[in-house]
Amino acid sequence: MISKFEVGGIPGLIVPTTGSMQAGLGFRVGFVDEPLARRGITHLIEHLALHSVGVADYHYNGATGVEFTRFHMQGVEKDVVAFLNGVCAALRDLPMSRLAVEKEVLHAEAHGRNAPVSEPMWLWRHGARDYGAGAYPEWGLPGITEDDLRAWVDRFFTKENAVLWVAGEKVPAGLELDLPSGTRQPLPPPSSALPSTPACFGGSAGLVAWDTVVPRSPATSVFADVLERMLFRELRQESGLSYAAQTDHRPLGRDSVVITAVADSLPENSGAVLGGMVDVLAALRAGRVDPADVTAMIGKRVAGLRHSDEVAARLPIQALGLLAGREVCDVEEQIAGLTAVTAADVAAVAADAWANGLVMSPSRADHAGFTIAPQESVAKVDGTAFPALPGATALLVVGAEGISLVEENLLTVRFDECVLMRAWPDGGRQLIGADGTVIWAEPTLHRAGRAAIAKIDAAVPGELVVAEAARAPEQIPQPRATAADRSDRVAGIQGMVLFGVLTLVFGGFAALLLVAFLTGTEDRGPLLAIASLCALAAAGGGHGVRRARYRMRYGSRPIER
Amino acid sequence: MSDTVLLDAGFAYPEVKVVLAAMRGRDWAAVRAVLDAAGPVGRSTLIRAASEEYGQEEFLRHVLAEDPDDTAAAAMLGMHLIDIGWRIRSDARAQHVSGGQFEAFHDWLRRAEMVLLEGVARGPADPALWVARLTSARGLELGLDETRRRYRKLAAIDPHHLPGQNAYLQRLCPKWSGDWPMLHAWCRAEMLAAPPGAVQAVLVVDGHIEHWAELGESANLGYLRSKPVRDEIDEAAQRSVRHPDFGRDYGWVQVASSFAMIYSVLGDRAAAGAMFDMLGDLGTEVPWCYVGDGNAAQQIRAYRQRARRRGRVVG
Repeated sequence: MISKFEVGGIPGLIVPTTGSMQAGLGFRVGFVDEPLARRGITHLIEHLALHSVGVADYHYNGATGVEFTRFHMQGVEKDVVAFLNGVCAALRDLPMSRLAVEKEVLHAEAHGRNAPVSEPMWLWRHGARDYGAGAYPEWGLPGITEDDLRAWVDRFFTKENAVLWVAGEKVPAGLELDLPSGTRQPLPPPSSALPSTPACFGGSAGLVAWDTVVPRSPATSVFADVLERMLFRELRQESGLSYAAQTDHRPLGRDSVVITAVADSLPENSGAVLGGMVDVLAALRAGRVDPADVTAMIGKRVAGLRHSDEVAARLPIQALGLLAGREVCDVEEQIAGLTAVTAADVAAVAADAWANGLVMSPSRADHAGFTIAPQESVAKVDGTAFPALPGATALLVVGAEGISLVEENLLTVRFDECVLMRAWPDGGRQLIGADGTVIWAEPTLHRAGRAAIAKIDAAVPGELVVAEAARAPEQIPQPRATAADRSDRVAGIQGMVLFGVLTLVFGGFAALLLVAFLTGTEDRGPLLAIASLCALAAAGGGHGVRRARYRMRYGSRPIER
Repeated sequence: MSDTVLLDAGFAYPEVKVVLAAMRGRDWAAVRAVLDAAGPVGRSTLIRAASEEYGQEEFLRHVLAEDPDDTAAAAMLGMHLIDIGWRIRSDARAQHVSGGQFEAFHDWLRRAEMVLLEGVARGPADPALWVARLTSARGLELGLDETRRRYRKLAAIDPHHLPGQNAYLQRLCPKWSGDWPMLHAWCRAEMLAAPPGAVQAVLVVDGHIEHWAELGESANLGYLRSKPVRDEIDEAAQRSVRHPDFGRDYGWVQVASSFAMIYSVLGDRAAAGAMFDMLGDLGTEVPWCYVGDGNAAQQIRAYRQRARRRGRVVG
């Protein structure tokens, strides 16, 4: 039985358990709150706070998530109290001397991290903001200052924005939890980068994923379980196309959940996996839900809920839910909700789920009714054009409203929708729009490239700029000059010698004949004709030399104009 | 001796005429009565034949709206939409089809796919839906893995479903990104998997006809005459048209017609004559449209006469 309590204005939940005490402190802050230019700030604070209370012997940790950040510990009562009080004290006075080191630690952590395979879907669904921000690396870290950290703590790590949970005999004595005062921070509404759904976009080989956003209800979780069972049957047991076919569901905001289905395959079978997955989703949508599957899945979930460990394990989710405005739901209530779910309820969820679906797959899903998600921008900005240098291909346009890059497709980032500009000392710039559009502006690839970068720098607000460390010379893009391969260079040199000789010989002849023409007295007509022909051949040779030199430098591509 | 050539399926299978008449009368109950009484292959054949009539979309959508679980209507509508698309694409090879044609073709196929997806969701065990899905998968170039998945779904319902096998055979041709060794191996395996006397032997013959047509007709009789190919053709004949169990099930006209064509081209007038005898006035557009000027009726007439002039044919 879960009961509520309060410590120093912070609401808490307690559930009686045996064994050592588990307790945690959660805040309503996560990736969802981070502008891309400050991406990583919450994680950095979590690390700094834990550094101060670091005791290697105990089982404690922190976790920064999409919507919440938490600190938790398992141990004897006095150590738990010391830990939680310590975290609060550390949040009030972060060890700023650790800033540079902890940024390094976070870089290392990101390097070793196994990203969820469905992560790109957040980006495609929401863009480079709120619920899409978590799909991006912690790109804000280099620019985060001590003042940024203090402001972030003052806004999010406050009494009013915190919750506590305890799995143990009683609320431990001695909790001070001295946090600054502030206000509860509501979750931002999820943005959408998809003009219409169901939608699809291209993913990596050997993986097909689908996700959807539906209202939270007991039927939703049963739907996710039934879907997993059907996918497993279809894709693994019957067709042998997949090894893993799984679903997952997690809350989004107060009232919604995200359901994700993922199936792996050999790269050459991903079209069939997509076909099988779509067929299963369509069957559920059409109402072909086997009541036996529904009963079995409810039974499994209820058995899990009745397990006492599960109650303690679910406590943090319940507590954090309070911060999002969700009511606490006791085990019996949850069980009653689940057992009332019928096959028709599951089919109703499936219909909703289909309509909001997003597919990530190496093969297209448009034949199955999924609109291909936009891969380019709608409009180009007006402004100064910076054409590609020989050997480069894209046209860069910089205007007062934003920038466009025109290549095979059109990309535009408007300055008022720009969420981040990464800036390298060599002049390279990466601009990211709120919808997830990415433009690389490289001074080395455009005529008057430096001027273009200067215009961009003048237009992008300083708080969106993150200064990056210098790139290695080989990381700085160059026109195809360096792209000419050995055979191009050899052919280019041969061509230059051949055409060079040709030019000299015919040029010489032309000059001699011209002299003869000017000084001679005999029949001057044919002399002039031959001289002209020789001059023409020499000009042709000169053109050949130019082409050969181009080939030597840039490879066999024709000159772009 | 008749000069008549009857290419319409209605002459071979009288139910086709009944279904077509019921469709023209917009009498779906009558259509269903015939379809429901037919076996799976007959049903797919009838649905296919009815779907080729012009102007059915509105009527079939209406039927489906009344009863979304009517998979016969879904299959027929799917087939019909595929047919509209294919007429826009034309039967020309891909390099002779314009971009706009391809766009419209794919657009109709996607509409068909949506109907068939919903149909399969409601009635996954209807083979006619899977036959249509095999055809649309080919037109949309969905990839061999997905097409194979669809074929396996069909085979799980009916392992010897000739209309679906015809569609899958096309997908295995190089012109649709398949390859010959895979195609011939599959055709022979399907023949051997079916009981002796069954129509599946035609897959072996049709596979060789496709191969021969791809090589270019006149220069390559050598291909059909080569011993391994000739042996396979004869083996297929022994297992079907020359087998005592070969009956008059749906598909038999296609089988006899393919053998008549291949033996005609090979110049084996006796064997061809026996097939023409079996067929009487009946014939099929495919594969005779691959011969000569592509006018199937004329080619059949000519080769039939040639076979009969030898006087080897009783009749």
